[in-house]
Amino acid sequence: MATVDPALLPNLVAPWSEWERRATRGRRLLEAGTYALTEGAIAAGCRVFAGYPITPATDIAEYMSKRLPQVGGYYMQAEDELAGMHMCAGASLGGLKAMTATSGPGYTLMHDAYGWALTNEIPLVVVDAMRVGPISGITGAPGQGEFYVARYCTHGGNFETIVLSPSSVQEAFWLTIDAFNLSERFRTPVTILTDQVVSDMWEDLFVPDSTEPLDFVVPRALNLSMPFYPVGSAALDVPPNVIGHGTGVCVSAYTHTEEGYDIEEMEAQWAQTYRLVNKIRHHRAELSRYETLGLGDAEVIAVAYGANARTVKTGVLEARRRGVRAGFIRLITLWPFLDSLFERDARYVVCELNYDGQLVREVMRAAPDKRNVHFMGKSAELHTVAEVATALEGVARSGRVPELPFIWTEV
Amino acid sequence: MAAPASTKTRTEILISGFGGQGVVRMGQILGLCAINQGHRVTMLKSHGTETRGGYVRAQLVISPDEVDSPVVEHADVFVAFSAPAYKKFYDLCDGTIMYDPEMVSDVRHDAGAARHVAVPATQLSKERFSNQLFANMIMLGALTRVAALDRDAMQRAMLAVIPRFHEQNLAALELGYTLPAVV
Repeated sequence: MATVDPALLPNLVAPWSEWERRATRGRRLLEAGTYALTEGAIAAGCRVFAGYPITPATDIAEYMSKRLPQVGGYYMQAEDELAGMHMCAGASLGGLKAMTATSGPGYTLMHDAYGWALTNEIPLVVVDAMRVGPISGITGAPGQGEFYVARYCTHGGNFETIVLSPSSVQEAFWLTIDAFNLSERFRTPVTILTDQVVSDMWEDLFVPDSTEPLDFVVPRALNLSMPFYPVGSAALDVPPNVIGHGTGVCVSAYTHTEEGYDIEEMEAQWAQTYRLVNKIRHHRAELSRYETLGLGDAEVIAVAYGANARTVKTGVLEARRRGVRAGFIRLITLWPFLDSLFERDARYVVCELNYDGQLVREVMRAAPDKRNVHFMGKSAELHTVAEVATALEGVARSGRVPELPFIWTEV
Repeated sequence: MAAPASTKTRTEILISGFGGQGVVRMGQILGLCAINQGHRVTMLKSHGTETRGGYVRAQLVISPDEVDSPVVEHADVFVAFSAPAYKKFYDLCDGTIMYDPEMVSDVRHDAGAARHVAVPATQLSKERFSNQLFANMIMLGALTRVAALDRDAMQRAMLAVIPRFHEQNLAALELGYTLPAVV
């Protein structure tokens, strides 16, 4: 039997590495990422979906329209994405967990609703299945163009966001439960930034039986007492607002008081911003989800997220087979950005599915020396194993990504 | 050409043809069969916006361990259901190319070329079932034999995936499995 180098065993830091061991009874299926995202949401207690279909997220709406009525939930076909997300925010304020799903062209339409959900601390989950753009781009091809859009998902500043990205069908299932948990705990919309490959790809998927007690699911709690908005605080264990219980809590788009009433004072603006930013910044460790491999001796580290992290990881193993001391970082939490993962003084090769370079800019900011951060952008198709291995070899031996067809290296 | 990836346990299967030939269905049955036998499976499917007539490709990776790259870069088996598919993906296969001679007439015979197996699936389907609908199951039967997969498990997976015409589909699967070209 071949011996496995322990340094090459992947290290996954995510709550589902433990959940997977706890849920034992269930079915093994061949299913798409859209199915996993839907079943994950149902398992997390989602009971409302409102949205507008768009490739490659249409199947989520379709599955939801079938599944939600079966579990006592509600499916709403909205007139557009903006209305869909507002409906979800309303459903969540009414006490039910809610989700919407779209792709880039619909995601940009949700920015107003995002602002409402963020400032009023309304828990809900938004799926963006990225396809290559700009705008409509190619419907059936993957892209990673919304890395920054998901961070700055509404105007006005003064907020932080939580954005997670799965790289397999199975992970899409667990990560969706996690996204709902985090949205409840942090009282904020959580974005699942997935892509056309993870959405459309079929993979083996374990789905726990509905009788299996998933005791890691954070239940929806009622908040019937003051403060409804703990402004000026980064406290987490404060349940979200539920309107309609005679509490007098107000929901508005303006800077607000602890009861939710509009206020135009600098002190109130300070207190609200303190909360919206620091309830996330002060809990970075709790929000860290990532996978690493071979970092112990790595001199060149490939960085990726989402579907292309799959080929990049195999490319790293292939580069090691060719004698390159290569490592691998897969970000699952995209925002808040995990700066501490990039402290190692090494060369970084950032592989992402766009030509303009987005994730690479954050890695340049976080790494010890931005001159050692290289870009390997590709568009509309996954990086191949051969390309990644060649690039890592090139960077290790000559300090640069060699010229490859359809690969962009300038940022 | 780059050396094969270090994950030697993986089996890569590429199926490509036109929309409507049942390429994705074939992959789905193959994938489910492997899952039922305890394997890990990925299947990428790419297609144009048309449902019928456009180009379709299914890329399957089957492995006892978790599959990292889902992309077929070195196919162990390549099923070509159209001439454009054969031409486009010929270089990705270093194993066996199974092709339908009614669709692929211009076969390459380079030195060191992949092993070629002609499976007249479309013709046999028309002859036996008066309909070309069952060509994909004939091809799947032949593939089951070529890739040394479990025939009974494949039958069960097919019955679980295909909602209708079980009798004809079982006969088509068996026809492919017992073709002289693959036995």
